[in-house]
Amino acid sequence: MSATTRTTTTTKGLGVSLGATLSTITALRICLAFTKDVSTYLQYEQLLSSPLTSYTRLQEGLFLFNHDVDPYSGGLFYHSPLYLSIFSTIIPNSRFIASLLWTFADALGAWALVQIWRARQGVSSPTSRDSLVAVSYLLNPYTLLPSLALSTSSLENTLTLLAIMLASQRLHSPSLLALALLITLNPSSILLLAPVLLLLAHPTGPKSNLASPSTGSVLTTPLLKKTVLPLFAEFFAYIAVLVGASALTSGGWSWVGQNVFAGVLLPDLTPNTGLWWYFFTEMFDHFRPFFLMVFTMHLLIYIAPICVKFQHDPLFATLLLQGILGTFKAYPTLADPGLFIAMVSVFPEIYSHLRHPIVTTLLHIHAALLLPLFNHLWLAHGAGNANFFYASTLVFACANGAGVLDCLWAGLRVGIEKLSTGEKASEDVEEEWTVVQE
Amino acid sequence: MESPPTKQTTAQATLVPPPPPPARENPVKRFLGRLKASPATKIRRRKAMNAKIHKNLGWLKLLLFIVGYVWMLVIPYPDLGRKTYSDENALQPAQVHTSYNWGDVRKADKYLEGLESLVAANATSERIATHLSDEFAKLGLLTATQAYNLSTTNDLSSGVNTYAILRSPRISGAEAILVGASWLSRTGEGDGTLNLRGVSTVLSIASFLRRSSHWAKDIIFVVSDGYMDGMQAFLTTYHGQTQSNIQAQPLRHSSGVIWTAMAIDYPAHSFSHLGVFHEALNGRLPNADLLHSFQLISRYAGGVPVIMYDHLDWREHPALRKQFDWVTPKWLPRSIRDRKELKTFAYHARNVWRHWGYQARGKASGIHGLMRQYRIDAFTMFALPAVGPHGFHAIGKTIESTLRTMNNLLERLHASVFFYTLTAPDRFIKIGNYLPSAVIVSVAMMFTGLGFWVDAGWERILVPGGKALAIGGKALAIGETAFRGEDRWKQRSRPVLAVLMIMALTHALGGALYTLCTTAVFLQNIPILLPLISLLIFGVPIILSSFIAPSASSQISKTLQALNLSFASTIISITTVLNFSLAALLCALLGLPLALGSSAAPTRSSPSSSGYPLKYPVYTLYALLGYGFLTLGLLYSPNLVVQAIQGGVRDWEAFGVWFVPLFCGVYVPLVVQAGVVVLLA
Repeated sequence: MSATTRTTTTTKGLGVSLGATLSTITALRICLAFTKDVSTYLQYEQLLSSPLTSYTRLQEGLFLFNHDVDPYSGGLFYHSPLYLSIFSTIIPNSRFIASLLWTFADALGAWALVQIWRARQGVSSPTSRDSLVAVSYLLNPYTLLPSLALSTSSLENTLTLLAIMLASQRLHSPSLLALALLITLNPSSILLLAPVLLLLAHPTGPKSNLASPSTGSVLTTPLLKKTVLPLFAEFFAYIAVLVGASALTSGGWSWVGQNVFAGVLLPDLTPNTGLWWYFFTEMFDHFRPFFLMVFTMHLLIYIAPICVKFQHDPLFATLLLQGILGTFKAYPTLADPGLFIAMVSVFPEIYSHLRHPIVTTLLHIHAALLLPLFNHLWLAHGAGNANFFYASTLVFACANGAGVLDCLWAGLRVGIEKLSTGEKASEDVEEEWTVVQE
Repeated sequence: MESPPTKQTTAQATLVPPPPPPARENPVKRFLGRLKASPATKIRRRKAMNAKIHKNLGWLKLLLFIVGYVWMLVIPYPDLGRKTYSDENALQPAQVHTSYNWGDVRKADKYLEGLESLVAANATSERIATHLSDEFAKLGLLTATQAYNLSTTNDLSSGVNTYAILRSPRISGAEAILVGASWLSRTGEGDGTLNLRGVSTVLSIASFLRRSSHWAKDIIFVVSDGYMDGMQAFLTTYHGQTQSNIQAQPLRHSSGVIWTAMAIDYPAHSFSHLGVFHEALNGRLPNADLLHSFQLISRYAGGVPVIMYDHLDWREHPALRKQFDWVTPKWLPRSIRDRKELKTFAYHARNVWRHWGYQARGKASGIHGLMRQYRIDAFTMFALPAVGPHGFHAIGKTIESTLRTMNNLLERLHASVFFYTLTAPDRFIKIGNYLPSAVIVSVAMMFTGLGFWVDAGWERILVPGGKALAIGGKALAIGETAFRGEDRWKQRSRPVLAVLMIMALTHALGGALYTLCTTAVFLQNIPILLPLISLLIFGVPIILSSFIAPSASSQISKTLQALNLSFASTIISITTVLNFSLAALLCALLGLPLALGSSAAPTRSSPSSSGYPLKYPVYTLYALLGYGFLTLGLLYSPNLVVQAIQGGVRDWEAFGVWFVPLFCGVYVPLVVQAGVVVLLA
């Protein structure tokens, strides 16, 4: 079902200008948000908001905060203090404003994604693919639904896209600031730090270098020392400032354990689309620290190999790490894999090399139907149990994993393709065939 | 090493190069070489394996289809199931001494007299409800009536429910048990037979329970008006839900969370067996522990044998043999027909068939079925009309003992299974023994779809011997010896976007069908409008498909069939868990028919043959399978079709049964897509 919706709009978006697409969809979204109060139905859905991103929990925290109770003293609130400060000062806290804010955040995210696409193509004028790229983010059910549920993961997605966009446009300081803000709000996004730094340091920036893997290697000592280190220092300074601001806002450090380490210590076992919660409900308590370490290390272990292998194309490394975040992070919502899927639209050069796109799509359709059904069967209907929902999250993980693996493979394959046709064109057909296959 | 002519995946559309001639090596070297093969050899081996799988895919699919369908047919086979058992230790079924006695029977008779005189006086619902409420009030129970209106597109029903609450003498009634009886019996799915004895039983049980003090849960007595409508109004109000087409008075008294419930249906003077009805809305079932407990209680505490539905076991009632002739037809030799296993199979098959009839359509088999959506485990005990030997005394004792068992619960029923198929009152099939059948069929469909997907990505071109071939604007001189007169495979892109558009269009057509079906105009003029609408659905794909260029159509057809099968397979495999009977029905209707789709079409090896003569007959067959059968049914039995459609729409609007939306929005579009596949082939 999701696939059909996506494509009808895709074809519609093909010839339409970006501005028209963005404004139409945004207008529709605003209508949707107000004609029927969708967010009231969706805000409790476990697939759409995790304890770290739930709107209702944010409201609870704001209430406590406004009544001079430390919201971090209970085991309910895990949002960053920056959310508290923003929603209690600059942005009035009302459902109406929130619906508008989330809609515009989505539009901004889609716009940023289009800018990333243009930067990758090296053009600044509109391209024919703009609307398609925007639609892949705006009408992607995985990103649309969490946004309708007012999950803060949508805001974090927008920040992610903004950080990548600014990095693609070589705006060092704004990009690092956006990234620092993102990581303060959602510490597990630390995975994206390395590829974004590489993106800033890379000589050709976001341009597609997948086809020429031997060029543009940035992981040389002088470059790392001269460019990456200062960038990291700047990033660290921003983080320090934001942490200071958080401490000032919340008037203490109690948020550190509840917010910064929530993704590591897993204090709340509310089910979500990820793979952590079930393991840790089943586990003996004395094994908990060990497995928390293993799960965290597992998440971090991907950074180095992907950044090394794709040092010639850091934007692609960012895509893959986002895919891994969506699959393996501690408190994912549908928005995380959704961002990965939307970002794939920026890399059309890998499409023809995907090995099993239909299998991945079918897995996603299965998972997208099973997740809400089994969640309902367990928690509303009462006939199923946690194992049902866990099984569906496994299907979802398979779907996400298949997507990431296929992209990884296709990204490597593009390089070999060009290598063989470019350098071995003179050799006989048999040779070419063999190499192409590998 | 021979490499079969496989489909290669080179990026640039190219040709199959012949494998190099196998070098003559000594066996040891060859063996070692196998272990440490060069990448090229590995690739060739992988290709050979893929080619083998692709070549034998047809057999694999056939095998899966056969296994799946045969498995479905043997579900009633006795050895697939097992005896029911009690998983929840707290239940302690039939472990108490019952004290419902002849004095209570006398009271029940008195209540019955009162009700009969009201019916004889043609009293209104309100009058009856007031009378019932007065009777409850005389017992000292909290009681009230509730008037309701339930309006659907084509129908308006109203009535007055009566309910009473016996407050738990021991605990603060955080939980409750519901004992209900509908005014109309479930005989003939609510054909108007009155459930007077059922209502009298509820009253006499209320007066009996008033005397005892061991109840740990509130007991709610509900006499709902109508067949299902009253109970739906009561339950939605009780759970604080608003259903836009129900106007019901608020409840004056309320109680705790209802965990379990039983509905009493006792339509005739006496009964011989108690029948269990357990299907809830949308194919849901109550916890199996409850049914097992009731079966034991009825047998040992009440002394009444239990049956499934109103099906007597023909092994004990040989006169009923006729009813089973469709399972064990008369022409079978006596030696086979009278085998014990086959007799049991026939008995089980009849029960399973009845069960599938309720579950696949999502219908509830009684008022108990409305409760599952609120997590209430419930069933209906149906007193099978007979000249004897049982009456109020037996049913009263059974109810008392069942209430004691329900009262024992410390938490909701959760231990035993919610997914099962009862084949007999004391036998059931576990999910693992019936679910794979539908999943296997859906896997076969998925394989078929993926096979078509692969096919759609490749084009076969005949290469005349020794000619240069121009592909992708690049001329490659091909060695003559290698390629003489063979066909080649060329990769081509699949028109996925166009196909998804077609699929979206068919689903939009289904949506339009649904919108039409739920209008009052349609529901009142079904015999005229149904053929018109069917004609429309028949015509639209023909007209639209004529706009597709013939050069692209076969390609679109293949891809459409691939996605159609994959989507249908997904729907089936997901439905299996929620509603197995519906999945089995979809397997039967969609499985082979969609997979066979274009197999009657000319193969690609003879593209020259113009047209496809069977195109329109096959398309018509699909139309019949999808929606035409309703129009055809109008010719034979207009009333049946009209009632089926009106009933289906009413079930959706009043109780939220998903069957009609699913039929319009998923089933019809899927079959229409298969028709389009044929049109474009």
